[in-house]
Amino acid sequence: MKLVYRITIRLSIALLMLMAAWGAIFYFVIIEEINDETDDSLEDYSEAIIMRALAGESLPSNGNGSNNSYYIKSISAEYAAQNSHIRYSDETVYIEVKRETEPARVLNTIFRDGDSNLFELTVMTPTIEKQDLKETVLYWIVALYILLLLVIIVINVWIFHRSFRPLYRLLQWLDGFSVNREPAPLNNETKVSEFRQLNDTVLKNAKRNIEMYEQQKDFIGNASHELQTPLAICQNKLEMLLYDDSLTETQLNEISEIRQTLNRIVKLNKTLLLLSKIENEQFPDKERVSINQLLKSIVDDYAEIYASRSISVSVEEAGEMIVLLNKTLVSVLIGNLLKNAYVHNFDDGTIEISINSTTIVIANTGQEQPLDEDKIFKRFYRNSQRESSSGLGLAMVASICKNSGIAIRYFFRNDKHCFEVRGSDFVV
Amino acid sequence: MKILLVEDEPALREIIRKFLEKEHYIVESAATFNDALIKVEDYDYDCILLDIMLPDGNGLAVLKHLKTLHKHENVIIISAKDSLDDRVAGLELGADDYLPKPFHLAELNARIKSVFRRSRMNGELFIEAGNIRINPDSHEVLVNGKSIELNRKEYDILHYFVTRRGDLVDKNTLAEAVWGDYIDQVDSFDFIYAQVKNLRKKLTEAAASVEIKAVYGFGYKFIINEL
Repeated sequence: MKLVYRITIRLSIALLMLMAAWGAIFYFVIIEEINDETDDSLEDYSEAIIMRALAGESLPSNGNGSNNSYYIKSISAEYAAQNSHIRYSDETVYIEVKRETEPARVLNTIFRDGDSNLFELTVMTPTIEKQDLKETVLYWIVALYILLLLVIIVINVWIFHRSFRPLYRLLQWLDGFSVNREPAPLNNETKVSEFRQLNDTVLKNAKRNIEMYEQQKDFIGNASHELQTPLAICQNKLEMLLYDDSLTETQLNEISEIRQTLNRIVKLNKTLLLLSKIENEQFPDKERVSINQLLKSIVDDYAEIYASRSISVSVEEAGEMIVLLNKTLVSVLIGNLLKNAYVHNFDDGTIEISINSTTIVIANTGQEQPLDEDKIFKRFYRNSQRESSSGLGLAMVASICKNSGIAIRYFFRNDKHCFEVRGSDFVV
Repeated sequence: MKILLVEDEPALREIIRKFLEKEHYIVESAATFNDALIKVEDYDYDCILLDIMLPDGNGLAVLKHLKTLHKHENVIIISAKDSLDDRVAGLELGADDYLPKPFHLAELNARIKSVFRRSRMNGELFIEAGNIRINPDSHEVLVNGKSIELNRKEYDILHYFVTRRGDLVDKNTLAEAVWGDYIDQVDSFDFIYAQVKNLRKKLTEAAASVEIKAVYGFGYKFIINEL
């Protein structure tokens, strides 16, 4: 949800509650005021009538055009004792003149004349219709609410867009930001100190991220580079040792094993170097490569190796895939995928390769459970405890794919582990 | 045979020197760029092993300097920087080969021999071992003047052995040289035995005067029998 919508919705809800409360309070205050005024006039009226009645003057005629009316009736002492002597109430009364019932404010006053006879005077005056008032108040509140809301939304959106422009520019900049690229300059001048602070902080953090990424990259690159010479010395010293004729066969075997282990370190180191070169984009030269031919030549190279474990390989060509990419990288990519399919296979297993003009799928038999797609492309993730697995093969594949814009995906289908490489704009 | 070894890392320089002396080369060594420049100006060598990352300069400049001196020494670049650019730049400047570190000493020896062979034979690239003659360009193998049929892998194995005669050949190294880098993840080397067995059979049938001797647990040794 966009921030401007969220603010508008929240503002509308708050406004709705505020206006409802305001309407209710307004209504009650008005009613109170009207009752108060009516009661005052009823009191005056009733006092005047009682004065006249006690003085024996003639009482005003009912229906004198004022809509006010009154009755006097004599009451018992019990009735007088039971009821309070001055009572106000809201009632609906039938007004003969108008021939309709109307809401009215009524005042009952109990008084006693000189002979101690008790009387009750009822005076009434028609009042406004409260229902009408309620409806009117509600109607105006709704109308005002909608009007106010519209105005507020318009103003809000306008102010929002004007004040938050630096934020959106910053967001756009962040969108295009990547740690492995020199960032575009952030032209985001603003007088608002919060935004200025945000700009500075984001820039500072972006720079730090780039630096850290560079450092990490450099570290891996430098470390593996620096390891080359000591590794070469170890390797060569061991080799020299082999020429010593006084060595026994057991010693020779021991040395051979050390050399193999050392070879694995050398390989690992070379792979790390290659990975850091891929990440540093040190393979810029692109050329047209036929994936079909490349695949077939690698499969051919491997023929004896596959045969030694009775793994059958089938290549199904539905079209020729020609890509415009760096040849070394494509070879490493396809080679690693095929190696992966071989290494994690079982004896008498199968490798099925299908290829068309945009997609390669390499499916192999292997362990029965699907692999964790989120982890297999990570460096040094090993599913099996194979000593010979470096845990870098698929990481290299992922790195090449990422840097060349190739989509790679793993899925488990028909008990086979499938890797799908899908080309897009680099396909010729 | 006189070799100039330009390498700044003392331990590595020492071991390469020792190895080459064992192989009966005369070895001079230089640890710095300036040292190397002085040596190539003053003396002639049959081969120069050149590290291109030197503390006081780039080894490629030594190559350029050789050119200005109109010297045609064989140069093999040994570098820890296995980058395509350096390889191309080195070869364009007239280097004969490029060997990325770390390398096996036997490999270095094979490259030196190959460089010598090429310069000595004026481009004629036959390799001979006993009564075997190999043409690396056409992949043709002759035993006693008669051609024998080898498949590609068998040819590669034979070529590898012939260029490393007398050396102990580690089966891992052999597998890597013939089948490529990916071989390291293969658990069993049965397929090598099978290929070597076939090769031996073909060589024996053609009465070749060479022998591929198995060294238990380690690999092989290629021996030329005196006729």
